[in-house]
Amino acid sequence: MSPLTRSRGGRLTARALKWLRGARPVGLLTLALVVLAWWLLDRFADIPPFKLPSVGAVATSLRELASSGELFDAMAASLQRLALGFLIGSSLGVAVGLLLASSKHLMEFIRPLVVFFQVIAGIAWIPLAIVWFGLGSGPVIFVVANAVFFIVLFNMLAGIQSIPSVLLASTRTLGAGRLRVIREVVLPGALTHLLVGLELSMGLAWRALVAAELIVATDGLGFLTLQASARFDAATVVAGIIVIGATWLVMHRVLLVPLHARTVERWGMTRPIVD
Amino acid sequence: MVELPARDHGASTGGAPTRAALAVLAPVRGTFKLLLPFAVLVGVWQIAATVSGYSSYLFPRPTDVAAAFWDLGRKGILPAYIADSMTVWLIGALSGAAVGIGLGFVLAFSRPLRALFLPAVRFFVAIAELAWLPLIILWFQFGFTAVLFMIWYTVLFPVLFNVLTGIEAVPNVTRQAVRTLGANRWQLVREVLFPGALPSVVTGFRIGAGYAFRALIIAEAFAAGSGVGFLIFESRETGLTERTMVGMIVFGLIWLVVDRLFLRPIEVATVERWGMTAARL
Repeated sequence: MSPLTRSRGGRLTARALKWLRGARPVGLLTLALVVLAWWLLDRFADIPPFKLPSVGAVATSLRELASSGELFDAMAASLQRLALGFLIGSSLGVAVGLLLASSKHLMEFIRPLVVFFQVIAGIAWIPLAIVWFGLGSGPVIFVVANAVFFIVLFNMLAGIQSIPSVLLASTRTLGAGRLRVIREVVLPGALTHLLVGLELSMGLAWRALVAAELIVATDGLGFLTLQASARFDAATVVAGIIVIGATWLVMHRVLLVPLHARTVERWGMTRPIVD
Repeated sequence: MVELPARDHGASTGGAPTRAALAVLAPVRGTFKLLLPFAVLVGVWQIAATVSGYSSYLFPRPTDVAAAFWDLGRKGILPAYIADSMTVWLIGALSGAAVGIGLGFVLAFSRPLRALFLPAVRFFVAIAELAWLPLIILWFQFGFTAVLFMIWYTVLFPVLFNVLTGIEAVPNVTRQAVRTLGANRWQLVREVLFPGALPSVVTGFRIGAGYAFRALIIAEAFAAGSGVGFLIFESRETGLTERTMVGMIVFGLIWLVVDRLFLRPIEVATVERWGMTAARL
């Protein structure tokens, strides 16, 4: 390849890139292509509509779900459970983490347990949650809270252990009481890990939520999707899948990305230890 | 509060024999320290379950769980279920990773194509994979294929996403330097972009494989007639909560073994060794 053609190729690529960036929401272009591929598949491959609904059918289904209010009811139900479960799980996780911070022995004792429970947190608890809480919102909230609790606690412990003991000892020597040490050293020191844990647990909590709703809920996005599949209504199933994906993307953009940028990144601590 | 670090000065005066004995006993002490919390937990659980007087359906005692474990093992059900689950998971995870890496490698050649693909891949990662389950069942009916597809999908997208973001993270200076030194496109991809993306790929696989392991439980509960996930859910329907607990414990143990013995060492051997722990998420 001569240098000339290479540079021209480079210029072409650069122009294409510029154009792609100019079409600022590249996502829209991608979306258009995905829809086009889907439409072509539907048009030219002979797939029955209960397996692959047409683009139009899904759009209609989305419109109907939205105009009947069904969609927003389901979304509200799901998000409410997520928020409640997350609040319970994370506050308990932080509280227990701080409690354990007061004793190194206790922390070493609890750590293996937390590692184990962190592994099975969330989805695997669904059957037990049903046994304990029946059907409906109860077991779903329990599963979400459970997933968040163990992951937050795990990260809290890792965060507390990452604090150099010199800092703790010197603060104590300078006359700080237990509470003061927790407030001024332990909490700020463990904060980055805590934030990473919260972020990570959100992802798992969302998955646990959808899974639990598929199985025990009587409303919500997961329930909506499963019910449609029982009716062989693939259009509504796909609509549900799209809404579930879009909801998470929006949450990620609105909540997690700014949080991460404003804390972990701004403090120059993009080296989270996530186990 | 946390003790001062130099707490056991006395150890140095213990003399050589004591120290040697301690060194020999170290692994034993480690195991003891690891197992003690679980022993205490099981003890407390046994007492609580006995005193509370709930039925074994609501709150099985550890002895019930142990009996169920023994029973399932003796009948050969548990080993068969574990083998089934691991087979699906292994095939799904490996093929998902292979397709993800292959596709990522192809996309490494073209930046505009990557820019085009990334939002779509991001979206597919964002869909909590289990939301696909109703549709997957419509596609493949109940059975092995449905579960396998679920696992495959769950691993594919995090891996692909991490290949793409890993490539983007390779510093521009490096690319240009290699190009200036006369490397062609193939060499650039093979020698710079792909190795550069590798740590991120390893992390992506570990995350995807973890999600897939969790998804396996639900997929088996819905679509399979065997497997650890099936055991966990089926036992609820038959009212044998102690079997559910056996399933949960086995599930946790398998994942710990897989993660600590295989996935973590791979990560340590690649990501950490190359000093790239920044990509751990």
